[in-house]
Amino acid sequence: MQEVSIFGLLVATFLMVIAKRTPALVRSFRYQSFFLFLATLIIALEEKQTSLYIVAGLIFILKVIGIPYFLQYTMKKINVRENLGLIANIQVSLLLALGFAYMSWVFSKQLMSFSEAMAILPAVAFFILLTGMFLMIFRLTAMAQIIGLLVMENGLFLLASAVLGGMPFFVEIAIFFDVFVSVVIMGFFVYRINKLFTHIDVNRLSRLRG
Amino acid sequence: MLLIFLLGVPLLLAAGIFLARDARSFGIVNVLGYFGMLIASVLLLREVVVNNGLVTAYHFLVADTLSAYFIFVIAVVALATALYSIGYINKDIAQGSISGKKAKTYYLLFNLFCFSMFLVPLVNNLGLMWVAIEMTTLVSAFLVGFYNTKKSVEAAWKYIIICSAGIIFALLGTILFSYAFSISGCMKSLNWTEAVSTASALDPKVIKIAFIFILVGYGTKAGLAPMHNWLPDAHSQAVGPVSALLSGVLLKTAIYAILRFGFIVIKSVGFAYFGHLLLLLGIVSLAISCCFILIQKDLKRLLAYSSIEHIGIIAIGLGLGTPWGFLGALLHIFNHAVTKSLMFFGASNMVRAYNTHNLHSIRGVIKALPYTGIIVLLGMFALTGFPPFSIFISEFLIIMGAFNKGAYVVAGAILLFLVVIFGAFIYRFSEMLFGHLPKNMTVQKEPLSGKIAFAFLLILICATGPALIYFREDLLCLVQILLPL
Repeated sequence: MQEVSIFGLLVATFLMVIAKRTPALVRSFRYQSFFLFLATLIIALEEKQTSLYIVAGLIFILKVIGIPYFLQYTMKKINVRENLGLIANIQVSLLLALGFAYMSWVFSKQLMSFSEAMAILPAVAFFILLTGMFLMIFRLTAMAQIIGLLVMENGLFLLASAVLGGMPFFVEIAIFFDVFVSVVIMGFFVYRINKLFTHIDVNRLSRLRG
Repeated sequence: MLLIFLLGVPLLLAAGIFLARDARSFGIVNVLGYFGMLIASVLLLREVVVNNGLVTAYHFLVADTLSAYFIFVIAVVALATALYSIGYINKDIAQGSISGKKAKTYYLLFNLFCFSMFLVPLVNNLGLMWVAIEMTTLVSAFLVGFYNTKKSVEAAWKYIIICSAGIIFALLGTILFSYAFSISGCMKSLNWTEAVSTASALDPKVIKIAFIFILVGYGTKAGLAPMHNWLPDAHSQAVGPVSALLSGVLLKTAIYAILRFGFIVIKSVGFAYFGHLLLLLGIVSLAISCCFILIQKDLKRLLAYSSIEHIGIIAIGLGLGTPWGFLGALLHIFNHAVTKSLMFFGASNMVRAYNTHNLHSIRGVIKALPYTGIIVLLGMFALTGFPPFSIFISEFLIIMGAFNKGAYVVAGAILLFLVVIFGAFIYRFSEMLFGHLPKNMTVQKEPLSGKIAFAFLLILICATGPALIYFREDLLCLVQILLPL
């Protein structure tokens, strides 16, 4: 059963790597969060932990419904062109993503030295984390940076559920709250940037140097 | 009870702003509140040192000597900033650059920012400490982008994105630490009070990897090079008084987080690993900040790079692993916080009077702003480590620690960079302070609250040096208890 969610997570992450426009990126983020929800739910069923059920529920409410809706709403409100502005083109991005996948597998096998089966979920988590960082660096709009950050966080949540069976419960809740607040604040700043500069192209934010 | 008080006052003040009639009168209430905080922090420090143990509240909040010390540093700078804010914000309102309503927003954000910083050293749980540090970023981003100009919003965006991304690595490190605890079968609660005692049973490989992530994550927030890119932007664009809080204490809360994890690492894999990493980052920070200080044209950015320099010195002191070096680093945290706040207040006065950040356009400050000019002159000598002032003592202790350990290269590097930076500061500031006054400048009046803040900080800078020499043996004893060697 877990294989389905792992497969889904990988597909959604690769979809994000090849996305050229912001709405596609938001949509794939929603798919990724959905499969993260699924993976967490399966771990919860296996380990029979009540707190993980609640975490899964929160992932569904915040990351599958809430945050993508908020991002779409912000996009509509600021009404800028939707191209992401790729620094690396699709082919190079895909090659890099494959490299990330291999790297995270090797790293995860090193870390979880006692069994290979245990290493799969952490490997996917590290892969998602690296992809998130890639999106933050190699895509030019402020919107893509927010999504990259959220993707990194998805990777972390997967890692926490996979290797720990979740963090202590109140810590997890606090982190969720924090993620939500930070997205709202960043959305607010994107709105301000667009108002002041009439674009959200972070590459052209270069008044402060040296 | 003290812990609840320390966290409750900033929250009450934040709530109180909604009841206040105007920002002007609220500023005074604010100062009184933070004066109470300072007294409470001294009481806490006393209680912890005298009883030589932990002060806890509901297992959730806890303070030992290290956290009480950080609380004290934050309280000192917060009080000075609250004092300086009165004059600064009133002048902003008078000049019409912000509305009365926006001034209230400033006090709200100021108090929330202080609350989040006080929370960092007090929470027991390492996961919640992460949440508190992320909270400091989120609140202070608004204070960086406060004036809503193109430059300040750009700085706020860089700040929030780089620090949030960096701190995700810190969370990754925290998860890996917690994984190391769970495979050794010790505990799952992530409380540092328990973590240190079980540290020796942990898997060293996982701990080593985890600490790299911690160092990258919290190092970004601390402004250690090469993760420092956000720092000069944010510190130069923030509201004047807030620059002091950012440089003086926000960076130190990240250092606190690194130390908390560091203690676990030292117990688990030995000191050398922790020490070498911090030494490396410290020296890189010193070198990079030194280069940028030499070519800097912007007054507040100059001071921001000087913060990177001092964070580098602190990291070196912690990484040396000798008691004198460690003591020097801890004292340097306080000395730098106080001195840098003083300099940022002075710089804010200068920037406002001349209406520019450019070093080459600011001339003759001593004539235009006599009080600020003299204070900045003294502060400049203090900041670059001139003898009677407190920074000299802590830098001297760190260099002495390096010689004791036989790390002559490190000591030589510190001395070389310090000399270069000293030269650059003397050159820049003598031009600014003593140059010819521009024609359209006149002598300006300075608000009383700003003067009191200057005097308060200057007394601390001057008095700490002799006090440190007098109490050195007692302090060394305290540090030896603290440092798990």
